Amino acid sequence: MATHVESLDNGLKVILRPIPEARALSTWVTYRIGSRNERPGMTGSTHWVEHMLFKGGGKLAKGEIDRLISRLGGKFNAFTDTDYTIYFETTPASALDTALMIEAERMRNAAFDPKEVEAERTVVISEREGAENQPEFLVEEELWGLGFHVHPYHWTAIGYKQDLAKLSRDPLYAHYLRYYAPNNAALILVGGFDPAVAMQRIREAFGPLKPEAPPDPMTLVEPEQRGERRAELSRPGAADLLSMGWHIPPATDGDAPAILVLATILGGWRGFLPYLAGDWQPRSNRLYRALVETKLATDVGVRHETKIDPSLLIANATLAGGASLDRVEAVLDREVAALKKTPPRKGELDRAKQQVRSWSRYEQDGVTYQGMLLSVSEGLASWDFTGGLFAKALRIRPEQVREAARRYLVDEHRSVVRFHHEEVAA
Amino acid sequence: MTLPDRTVLDSGAVLVSQAFPSNPFVAFRGSVPAGMAAEGDAHGVAEFMTRLLLSGTRRRSAAKLSDRLEGIGSTLEFRNGEEILGFQGRCTRETAAETIRLLVECLSEPLFPAKEVERVRGEIRNDLRIESDDTRHRASRELGRLVFPRDHPYGRDPKGSEPQITRIRRSDIVAFHEANVAPEGLILALAGDMDRAFLDEAVANPLSRLRGNGRGHAAVPEPPSHRPRALWIPMPHKSQADIAIGALAVSRRHDDYYALHLANLLFGRIGLYGRLGKNLRDDQGLAYYVFSGLEARTAGGMWTIAAGVNPSNIPQAIRSIRAEMDRLRRDPLTSAEIRDGKDNQMGSLVVSLERNAELATELHRMEYYGLGMDFLERFPDIVEGLKEERVRSVSQKYFDAGASSMVVAGPVGRTRVAL
Repeated sequence: MATHVESLDNGLKVILRPIPEARALSTWVTYRIGSRNERPGMTGSTHWVEHMLFKGGGKLAKGEIDRLISRLGGKFNAFTDTDYTIYFETTPASALDTALMIEAERMRNAAFDPKEVEAERTVVISEREGAENQPEFLVEEELWGLGFHVHPYHWTAIGYKQDLAKLSRDPLYAHYLRYYAPNNAALILVGGFDPAVAMQRIREAFGPLKPEAPPDPMTLVEPEQRGERRAELSRPGAADLLSMGWHIPPATDGDAPAILVLATILGGWRGFLPYLAGDWQPRSNRLYRALVETKLATDVGVRHETKIDPSLLIANATLAGGASLDRVEAVLDREVAALKKTPPRKGELDRAKQQVRSWSRYEQDGVTYQGMLLSVSEGLASWDFTGGLFAKALRIRPEQVREAARRYLVDEHRSVVRFHHEEVAA
Repeated sequence: MTLPDRTVLDSGAVLVSQAFPSNPFVAFRGSVPAGMAAEGDAHGVAEFMTRLLLSGTRRRSAAKLSDRLEGIGSTLEFRNGEEILGFQGRCTRETAAETIRLLVECLSEPLFPAKEVERVRGEIRNDLRIESDDTRHRASRELGRLVFPRDHPYGRDPKGSEPQITRIRRSDIVAFHEANVAPEGLILALAGDMDRAFLDEAVANPLSRLRGNGRGHAAVPEPPSHRPRALWIPMPHKSQADIAIGALAVSRRHDDYYALHLANLLFGRIGLYGRLGKNLRDDQGLAYYVFSGLEARTAGGMWTIAAGVNPSNIPQAIRSIRAEMDRLRRDPLTSAEIRDGKDNQMGSLVVSLERNAELATELHRMEYYGLGMDFLERFPDIVEGLKEERVRSVSQKYFDAGASSMVVAGPVGRTRVAL
């Protein structure tokens, strides 16, 4: 699909993908700011700022974003990641001006009314508490905490409750002013619009916005891990959980395509975006065969966490009743050892590649998902990053998968979290 | 927008489709009337059977089935519902014929291997345990039990209970399958990269091979009025409590449906969740999520409110929900609100159907509820024709705190507050 890219004088990168027959328009803005830009004591501030940007400012009264989009039958939301923050609205194609006005106001004019900041404190804490209700969240938070001691990937985007309890309005507002600027953002349009008209409107809406000094480059580098790290969590719950994370290089590293294929062979492929697959559970992968078919686990998954900085490859298992964590871990170790010993067979490799190939089409399902994929790609590297990653993955040879397994699935560089469920009284 | 294509195959199966060429693949949604309503007293057997449909056929093992399906990059899932066995998937134009062949094979020739039966039995038991430890799921499930009569398919757990799961034998599953899965009553809806020749060759042709002697639709009894109750479920190890409130609503074809659908939108769905969200989340900061829902099925339905709150905020949240329900009488939905809601519903025809998967789901719904293939064309007139007074009176009739049940699950301590 034809994609047109250009930059305004103030540094805003504009990515346009017109689809003439589309009746909808999806408008996205990616800011190159995530929880990786936070420091201890202010964790969760990026996510809190995201919440504040629905509360009006400039031309927009409180609640007006909601009203404007809702009247159009549109949908809107935002996501805060470790590496980026993304806002979007999908509307009928005729609402281009409305969408651009909302995003231009949001970029520089958010109000941060102290009363609203305070009201939102309990909302973000409530969001965190809802996550805490799930043992999987506690395991995930523990795993990243183990894997990263120096780099801000140590904490998750929601932040720690104690920070959320004491953060005040001024640092949040400063965080907003510092990072919400045209030269730290990309605007993405997908759907029914004329590119020339859209560019004209974009210049009118965003051209007057002043850039900020470029964000400081990331200086925190995680030192090499020297030895396996483990945590044993014992809490009330319904099932034992095992989570294992190995250090892997950044998304743009030359080994990333081989790691993607490796992850698919080990745990199946559910698309690049975490939202589209729903309950789809791939079953032809090695961990499903070794753990679910053998009744040791009821659910398994492998996630290639593609991030700007070195990250983790994570394998998860929900244990079946009566299965032991030692046994499941031993089977997982056995499967990893097999990958390191012998390259995958051609049929298995072809199957993994076919999943990646097909999902690259499934993820083009409508203007919203196309916009999301372009935005996430831009947040990680560039709008065409995922397309390039998939193309390279389709050229991976069996020996490269084994090499990636040998290089990265190393016991000394892994962290292991084991959740021992304690029976809950009925 | 051209009308969807509808074809009735010789077998009785109905094929509904709409081309969406800008989305470069095909999504499908389908069903056969083999859900919980067809179980009789054998509660849990529909769920059991559903989970086993990808566990091997007379032609290939579970492993060979998943190798083939994923080897062509397709997805295929089966889901048990109150009235139907649902299925859905994705494929490309090139892999559609084989994907539909695999779907037909799973539906008509499942083997139900004994080893897989035991694996799935363990999986369902694990899911029952996990869901019983989930505040939101627990509150929602128990609310269904309170609102619908004992063992009604709309209110009971589709998985059955632990003792029921233990009792189900392979022969029960085989018998349920033979009695209920057949072309009769099958609906398959598709959207995406397709044309007429593609449908005939890649879909209708393999689908016509589906065989079976199922008895077709199993009638669902209309639920009688319910007696409001409250249930508090202490889960002291959790951080947050979930509140679920609800009562009986209407069937999809009921005269009140469209007015109630609009009232529900304004009460707890539009934007950041309507009046409920504005009060509890935006103004008071009491909850990350608080919204209402409306489930309308063949024989009846239920409306619900769901909120996740800090335990110290439970009384205030319940009082505020009650206040919003009462406000529908004291301060009825305004003309401006109703206008916004109508505009939202008409605009959402474009926005909510921009994906293959969404369009296929809507096409399936249109056929299942007999709404007609011109439904999407008629919908704006239906919405525009709703009288304001009707929307207000329906909101007051159904969102009635005195007639509603409530469940609170989480670290509730000694808190007990009436709605």
